Parts: sequence; C-alpha cells; structure tokens
Amino acid sequence: MAEISEAHDSDSSKSTDNASEAPTQPESEPEFNPKLMRKTKPGLKRLFLTFSVLFSFLLGLQFLWKSVEIYRSPLPFREIDSLSTQLGSDHLIFPLHFHALFVGFDSDPDRLRLSILSEITKLTSQNPKCSHNYTLSVTVDSGSHCLHSPTTSPHSCSYQCGSITAIDFDQNDDVAIDERLVPVFGGKTNEYSVVVVKGESERAVVGKNRRAWVVVGSGREVEIAVVKVAEVLVKVFVNGGREEGSIRNEFMPVGADGRIVLSFNLLNADPRDWVYDWDFRKIDNNLLAPMIEALGPVANISVESQVLYHTPKASFSYWDQQLQSYVFSTKDLPFFVNSNEWHLDTSIAAGGRSKILQFVVYVPSAKECPLLLQLPNGEISNTNGFISPMWGGVIVWNPQGCLKDDNKPTARRTIPMQDLENMFEVFTGQFRQLFGFKSVNIYAGASGVWNLLPSERGFTEWELDVLSRQHTCFNLHSCASTLGSLSRLVQSLPRMIIMDEIGKQVKFSLEAAKLAQSNASNGVYESSAASSRQARSLAEDAFFHPSIMSVSYYSFEHCFAVYSPFFLPVSMHVVLAALSERRRYRKEKSKYLAWKAKANAAS
Amino acid sequence: MALLQRPFLVLLLIVTHQFLQYWVAFGSVNEECQKQEEFNEELLLKPLPDRKALAHFHFQSSAPPSTSNGRHHHLFPKAISQLVQKFQVKEMELSFTQGRWNYESWGGFDPISSSNAKPPGVELWAVFDVPQHQIDASWKNLTHSLSGLFCASINFLESTTTYSAPEWSFPPASGNLRYGTLPREAVCTENLTPWLKLLPCRDKDGLAKLLDRPSIYRGFYHSQRLHLTSTGSGSEGMDSGIILEQTLTAVLRPNSRRASMAHAREKHIQPSWSLSSIFGKQVSGRCVLVKSSNVYLLLDRGLVSELKHLYKENEKLVANDLATKNFWTNPSFELSAKPERVFIEENSMHSNSSSILYKFPVEKYSESEPFDLGVIWKDPVVWLCQQAPLRASRFLMGSGNERGTIAISLKSTQLSEGFMGANANDKRCELRVYVFQVVPWYVKVYFHSLQVFVDQQPKAVSDIIEKINVSPSKDKVSPGVMEVVLKLPCRVTSAALTIEFDKGFLHIDEYPPDANQGFDIPSAIISFPNFHASMVFLEDDSLNKSPLLSKFQEKSPVMSYTEVLLVPLTTPDFSMPYNVIAITCMVFALYFRSLVNVLRRRVAEEERFLKDKAARKTGWPLPLLSKLSAKLRGRQWEPPHSAPASSSFINSKLVFKVILVAGLAVGWQYYFS
Repeated sequence: MAEISEAHDSDSSKSTDNASEAPTQPESEPEFNPKLMRKTKPGLKRLFLTFSVLFSFLLGLQFLWKSVEIYRSPLPFREIDSLSTQLGSDHLIFPLHFHALFVGFDSDPDRLRLSILSEITKLTSQNPKCSHNYTLSVTVDSGSHCLHSPTTSPHSCSYQCGSITAIDFDQNDDVAIDERLVPVFGGKTNEYSVVVVKGESERAVVGKNRRAWVVVGSGREVEIAVVKVAEVLVKVFVNGGREEGSIRNEFMPVGADGRIVLSFNLLNADPRDWVYDWDFRKIDNNLLAPMIEALGPVANISVESQVLYHTPKASFSYWDQQLQSYVFSTKDLPFFVNSNEWHLDTSIAAGGRSKILQFVVYVPSAKECPLLLQLPNGEISNTNGFISPMWGGVIVWNPQGCLKDDNKPTARRTIPMQDLENMFEVFTGQFRQLFGFKSVNIYAGASGVWNLLPSERGFTEWELDVLSRQHTCFNLHSCASTLGSLSRLVQSLPRMIIMDEIGKQVKFSLEAAKLAQSNASNGVYESSAASSRQARSLAEDAFFHPSIMSVSYYSFEHCFAVYSPFFLPVSMHVVLAALSERRRYRKEKSKYLAWKAKANAAS
Repeated sequence: MALLQRPFLVLLLIVTHQFLQYWVAFGSVNEECQKQEEFNEELLLKPLPDRKALAHFHFQSSAPPSTSNGRHHHLFPKAISQLVQKFQVKEMELSFTQGRWNYESWGGFDPISSSNAKPPGVELWAVFDVPQHQIDASWKNLTHSLSGLFCASINFLESTTTYSAPEWSFPPASGNLRYGTLPREAVCTENLTPWLKLLPCRDKDGLAKLLDRPSIYRGFYHSQRLHLTSTGSGSEGMDSGIILEQTLTAVLRPNSRRASMAHAREKHIQPSWSLSSIFGKQVSGRCVLVKSSNVYLLLDRGLVSELKHLYKENEKLVANDLATKNFWTNPSFELSAKPERVFIEENSMHSNSSSILYKFPVEKYSESEPFDLGVIWKDPVVWLCQQAPLRASRFLMGSGNERGTIAISLKSTQLSEGFMGANANDKRCELRVYVFQVVPWYVKVYFHSLQVFVDQQPKAVSDIIEKINVSPSKDKVSPGVMEVVLKLPCRVTSAALTIEFDKGFLHIDEYPPDANQGFDIPSAIISFPNFHASMVFLEDDSLNKSPLLSKFQEKSPVMSYTEVLLVPLTTPDFSMPYNVIAITCMVFALYFRSLVNVLRRRVAEEERFLKDKAARKTGWPLPLLSKLSAKLRGRQWEPPHSAPASSSFINSKLVFKVILVAGLAVGWQYYFS
C-alpha cells in the first residue's frame, strides 16, 4: 500500500520530517537533493507499531493453534514396529525337547544321535513364521547299563535306567502300554519321547501323552528305527500329523476375542412327516464338556443348541435304485446349506467378534428319506457328513427305516442315544478337521504307518501342544499386523482423535505379546497361548474402538473454512503493512546516511 | 389299593437293584413330560361395526424353568431365552404398530383393545431383575440386542432422553421398569420376518400361514407385539420359566364382492367375508408342533344384543332360546363352518347382553380339506362397540414457534353410563383416571401451569388431582415425566387437562435429518384402574386351557393411548453458522485493517499531496487507472508526477502480487492434496 507513494516519498518525507528545516537549508547547502537525502533520522514510531502488531498477531496464532489442537494419546509406534520386525525377522522360536530311548540296543548313543539329527534336518521344512529350536537326547538302555548322549543333558535324567523292558511291549493293548510309559518318563514333562524296542510284531504307535513307541523287527533295525524316530518327532509331534498344504497352517477357527461358540442345530426338514428331538443336555455334559475343557488354553468355548423345523435343503437329491436311497453328490454340496430357510442365527450370548461354528444334524423328510452323501469317487460317505471350513459341519441323519407313522405323525420322537453318540463322534472329527487335524487315527508317513491313539477328550496332549504353538504363532502375527495397521492408520490421519483408552489397549496388547513371546521361548505353551490370545483381542479392540470408527473427526479443511475468513484478510494487512514500513524505513535511513556522508565530506 | 401297592413296591425295590434304577428313570421321564415346552396358536376374528374385520393372532410358547430343564430348548426360540438370561428380563413387551386404533368404532373396553391397541411406531417396556444401579445399563444393552433381532432402530431408545421410569401409573409398574417409545419408526415386513422366526413353524404351516404380507400391510391398523414374562432365577416356588406371547392384531377391510351392486339398502349390510377373502389364503391344517390350534369368532356384546333384538322381531321367539347351540344358524348371518363349541360370556355386571364366542379347532382340517371360515350377512345390523368410560384425545393449543399448550381432553362415552348406572346416583361416586405423559426435554413443560377443567368449568387442581408425580426434564439428559391420578365425579361429561410449554432450542447437531417435519410427543397413556377389561368364557376342560381365553380372563385395567402430537420447533437455516462466521470475520477484518492503517497514517504528508493534486491537471486514462488502483489499496489517490514510470511500476507490482497469490494457492493445493 505504500508503494505508490514511494515515488513521491522523497520529497514528502522531507516535508513531513523536516518541515521546519526545509526552507532554511537549501541556501546553506546547495548540493542537498531532497529526493535522495534527508537531514533527520527517520522516525521509528510507526515501524515499531506495525511490527508490534505483527508480533502480537504471530503470538496469537500460537494460542489459536493450541486451541484447535485435538487430543491424541501417544501410541508406542516404535514398540509396535519392533514387535513386527521381531516377529518378521528372527521368527518366534519354540524350544522342543526330544528324547529317544533305545531299549535292548547296544549301539553308540552319540552315533545314533547324530544320525537322528541328520534325518530331522532332512525332514524339517522351514515354516516362514514360526520355527522350532529342538534339543535331542538319546539314551541307549542295553539292559544292564544305560548310555546317555549328550551325557550332561538335563532332560535325559528323568529316565530311570532299566525301568522299561522289551517285554512291556509284547502285549497288544496299546492303551495299557501308553499308561505304562507315563511314570517311566517322570509324569508331566514337556519332552517328547520315542521308545524303540526290538520285537516280533512290528508296529508304531503314538500315545496320548507325548510318547510314542516303535517295535522293530530284527535285521537293519537301527537304520529303520532312526528314520522312524525322526519322522514321528518332526511330522507328528511338531507338525501334528497333518499333510502340508491340506489346510493352511495359520487357519484357526477362533474368534478375534478368543472365543468359539459351538451352535448345535437339529433340523427337521419337514415336521409333518416326523418330528425328532434329542437329549442335548446329556451330550453336552458327557461328550462336549471334556473336549471344551481340554481346549481351554486355545479358546474359550461355549455351547448352545436349538431345534428347528421346516428347514428343507436347498438342492435336490436323486433316487438310486441300487442303494435303495436318495443320493446327494459332492458337486452339489455347496447348495446343501439353505441359508434362506435355515435360520441358524448368530447368538445373542456371544460377543461381537466371537467365532460361531454351526454344527447341523439334518433329518431329511419322508420324500427323501434314506439320504446319503456320495463322495467324488462314487462311494457313499461313511460319516454322511461334511464340513465347510470356518462355518461348521453338517451331518445327515436318517431315521431308522424311514418309516412314517401315519397314525401319529406329530408325536415327538427322540433320536436314540447310540445314534446321537455316533453323531457326536463325527462332530468331534469335524471339529478336529476344522482345526486342521486328521479325523482318522492313522498317520501314513514315508517310513510306514503310525497308529495314533485317540483321546477321549477329542484332542491328545501332543495335539493340544501343536494347537497351542500354532495358536500362539498365529495370534502374535495377527496382533502385530493389527497393531501395525493401526499405527499406519493413525500416522496417516494426523487430525484423528485418539482416546486414552486406545493407547492403553495398545500398551496392554504389547505387554501381553511380550509375555507370550517370553513364555513361548521358555516352552510354556499354555500360558503363551493364553497371553497371545489376550494380545490379539486387545489389539483388535483398539483397532475397532468406536472412536476410531467415527467419521466426524475434526478435519483440517473444517478448521481452515472456519478461521480463514478472519485470519486471511487480517494477516494480509498486517504483513504487508509491516513490510512496507520496513522498506520505507530503510529507504529513509539510506537517505539520511547519504546526507550525513555528504555533510561529513563537506565539513 | 394303595395299601396293597406300597408293600409290593417296597418289596420290588429291595429285591432288584436294577429295577430300582428303572423305576427312577421312569419317574424322571414322567416329570419331564409334565414340564415340557409348549406352543399354542390361536386366531380370533371379530366383525367390527364400521364394516371392517379384526384378526387377532395369538401365539404362545412357554419354556419350563432353566433350573430343571437346562438351557437347551426344543421349541422355545433360542434368541429369546438367551435374551432373558443375559439381561435378567423379568417382563418385557415390544410392539410395532402402524396406524392408529380407532377407539370409537373398534371398541375400548375389551381385552383386545386395552392390551393390543398400541401407539404408532415402536413401544418397548421392560422390567429387570437386577439391582437398581444396573437397570440402565441392562436397558441399553437390551435395546441394542432387540434392534439387531428385529431389524429396527430400537437402539435409539438407548439415550437417556428417550426413556423414562414410570413409578405407578403404568400398569405393571415397579421400580425396575423402563419405558420408551419411538413414534416415528416405520414398521414393515422386515420387522415381521424376524418376529415370525421366533415361531417354531414360522409362516410355513399352521395359522401363521395366513399372514400374507400384502393383505396385512394394506390394512387399517396392525400391531405386532411380543410379550414375555419370566420368573428369574432368583425367585423360588413360583417357577414357571419363560412365557413368550406373540400377538398380531390387524384391522382389515374385507373385499366386498357385492360392491358393484351396492344399493342403498345394502349400504348398511355388513360385508360378507371369509378367511380367504381377507387374507387371500386358507388354513390348511395346524402347525404340527402345537398343543392346540383354534380359530375363534367373537361377536361382541353390542352386536349380540342387536341380533337378539332382530331375532325377536323376526321370529317372535323367546330370547332364551338364542343362547342355544343353534345360534350359528341365525337368520341375520350365516357361518360357513360349523363351530365345535359356542361359548357365552359369563357376565355378572351386564345382564342384558353378553358376547358369544364360536370355537373352530383347526385339527380337523388338512391340506385336502382346508379351513375357510366365512361370515355371510343377510340383514343390515348396526351396533356400537363397548367404550371405555372416558374417551381420551390430546391436542396442541396456541400458535407460533415460541410456546404452546398441551391439552388432554376426556369425554364421557354414552355407553359408560351403563357401568355406573348402579352407583351413579351416589354423590361420592368417583371415577379414577391415571394419566401418564412423557415429554421430550426440548418441549419445556411448566408443571405449575397445570389446569383442570371439569364439565368446562375450571377446577382447583387439588380437588381433582388425587396424586401427582412429576419429574422435570433435564436438558439433553432426561425427558419430563408426569404421572397424575384424576379423581372425577361419575357424572362427569367432559374433563380436560392443560399444561403450557415453551419450545426449546436444540444444538445444530441434535436436529434429525428432516427437522422441518416437526417433533413427536409420544402418546399419553390413560388408564382406568377401577375398570377391568376381562371376558370370562367358562371352559370345561381345565387342563387344556386356551391361552387366549385365559388371557381374556385376566383382570387388566382398561387402558387407552392418545394420539401422537407433532410439535413444530424453530429450525435454523442449517448453513447459517458458516454464514455467521464469514460475515463476522469480515467485519472484524475490516475493522482491524482500518485500525492498522490509522496507526500508520502520516497526516501532514497526505495534506501536501492533496495540495499537489489540486495544482495539477492530468489526462484521464492513466490517472484513472492509478486512481482505481489507489482506491484498491485504500490509499488517497495522488496525481502522478511521472505518469509513465509510476504506471509501469504499479502494473509490475500488481502482476507480482497476483502471481504471488496464485503461487500461494497452487502451493496450498499441491501440499494438501
């Protein structure tokens, strides 16, 4: 604004600042040019004023900035990053202790140990996420004395020399042998033991309690035994006896809050033909409760049931004359579940992020009564059921003889207890399959067939170990990735409000994850699974916190729209005024200096 | 016999251990049979005086207590039992209603109208079996669960501004009651489907198959209701488990087939209707899971007395013969199916007329022989339904956007004189009326301005109001609640309550999307504690009592709902805040600029320029430009000394500034996008 006057400033300044002197001076000093010089010092008053206004304005801006600031709880970004890099780079390592006991052999334990180790490394496939750090001790019990390798291993001490002989394995009752082995290795230890004995009937059995035994015949027994031992250790005890690539390893049907709801449904396709009921209470108490207790460290499981009526399946079956029954082929299975009519419903009792697994007993109507499921190879399914991963399982149960009681069609009949027990055995198998285990009790490896002893709890101890390890691994990775995406989200939205609660949840989640890691590396599987579950559920809670989900966070655009009508014009004026005053002052000062120099030169 | 049996039994028990086990097992089976889950379906049809038909579906499921039967159910819906267990609900009622019950012509004194006529939208009340401080939390969780279960926005009842805790005026009142309504909730088929899912047969079989969505939603009124009572785990002795009662009440217009030949005489003839003509479907058998499945046809008192009157005229017969079982072959109407039984209301109070109920069990019918009840009217009949003693209506008075008055008017119905005939002459005869009114906080009611008019005469409040309980509203926290007991003389012909209010202002965020439509004040509830709507039909079979009829027998006080009021509030121009910001900021900026300029002003200098300007004369094009630019800069214009130099100077400066601003804008855009 001052620019236009600058051209005339020279003479005007002269007149303003030196109004009194102007008429007197020209005569005394003829070389004085009013356009280029002045005789008085330029005034500082206005310069000072405009700059003080500018400064107070700038100071005010600070307060404004403070007042529109939003609350963001400090998140431990560095810890989150370090957690994910830790899990990403140097894997989660679970320590495992293997113990091989050769009864009735007189080989060199060190040599045996080395050959088993080389077999193990051959078999081990590197899991990209979680790996195992194993130690192996070998004991050779030749009847009279024992040889240990390595001699100072703390794990081989539990075995009392000579407490087991080949005669113990002569009997055919595998369960009894399994029981016999429990005290031999000192009850509850976390090591996995394999006993190798010589005998007539060759067999290989995996017990319920982290023990396995091999009876080898005469001949090249040591070489065979070494291969078998390595295989059972790696394939069964470490990997849970599942084939690579059957179901993905990290595939866990557990909800984000660590809960599973097993919802059992009995569907009467057409109650006009017959109405079946079940005594679910007995099943719940007798068959399901032990399994739920066994799976306690992996997931918090609750059970509910309902009986539904008028629930036809969604696709048709065809009549097979040979089988005298209706056949439903595998390719139609995706259309078996009728989501329109089967209102299985989510549970009110379950929390928001629980996993609900639906198990369905389908009682066909009289029109399609002996309903059988056909396998792709044309055979009829033994279990008459199928699973749908992450959803649950279905069993078709055909009433005895498919006889419709025309006199009293509405009488409620109860499914016989024997049938119900068979059904729940199949359900247990399906549940195991959903967790990635095999539903049959045989493991066919490269070196031979292993007989797996089933547990009455549905899951054996070594299987639970596998689940715990896998669950810990999966949970920690999912926790790290959730926290990672949370930190990325938070960093990408600088104007998002972050509540204290989220900060706390993230902190606790990180703590639980650390605890799980340390427990895992100490080999305490159960508590590491529990704390990893907690870490994951806290991370999910933080990520899905309602305040993050809200759309109406205070955007910068909003702030700009509200404040710019005032601050933009005002700041323009203040800054320009300050600039022009400064320029004017410098110009006037140079004029004064020029005059002063001239005056000095003159005098 | 018993004496003989006992030693024998004891002997048996002692002799074989196995037999003992068998006996115990047998006993337990027997016990279970007694306490099984049950499901009943019933449909009540009733002709209404204004040529419409009422259909009232009643489904009742009951579950034995979970302590004896476990938490696994066979018939009872899983969702409801989980709801009851999770939130410790003692009693709950949820209703979805569309349309308004016409108390005048559809009746106001029978059990159907007093317990099934509901205010439009959603009404929810619940009694919890939890300690006082947990009730609000339970209520909030319950609203969310129900909202998910029924696909409705019941979760809006979560906010404390929408629900209240009546203390004594609401019939099942107790300290643990919460009551809330959503008058504007639109009710449609997405609410009906989850409701039907709770029935074991859904709408696949049985009476529910009649529920044809188009014909129900085409009706004048429909209200689906879910009422559950549970004896919580804490109570002992009277342990009856959970009883879930689902009713759907619809008022439908029968498609009159003779509409084309509507003569003057036939105008008064009731339209003949049948199940297939009002629902478009027939009943093809019962749901196989039910214990009992019945259809009833109810002729109410007014209609029966009118028919008797006609009958007498026509046949000249004694009235007593009417009440025989042949009543269904009446000369004035005809039923297409033969009822199994005819019930006549046991009536002590009104001797002159009692309603008649025809019972049609559905069991006998099947797919091949469907049940289609039809009523064919032959003679014109005009009658009136029984009314509540006072008819309540509510309206707004006053104009403008500032204040108004709510008035509740109660008018005596002619019919009610009959009730009080006996003691109307008694001077001390009193009619008690409970009024329960909830007002949202933005309608600021002045409770001191409560006025009572009886027979158009203002009365002292203390004379008429026996008891009053007021909880004033708190802004944005809780609604205002008024509970009043009026004590009116029996001979009253009209009474009115008025109360003034101010319309409050809402924060801009609190307005609903369609703010200009107005705001709803929920219905007031008027109940008459001295009058009980009950109909007693004696059933000889006491074991298989019909739930619907036993519901009718319950002595529930007569209740009616008033209309929903629509209050227009002042709604702001929603873009106003930004306009206000912009204009005030502009004014401030102008002021600030002038202040800065005044501070920098050099008066003497400017005076000199003015003198210079007067001395010089210049051509117009360039000075005009410079004058303009000077004006733009808010500076006094000075005539240029060296015109070309100054103008180029101005232009370059201008251009520089424009470029600067444009550059700033581009930078801004680049940085923030």
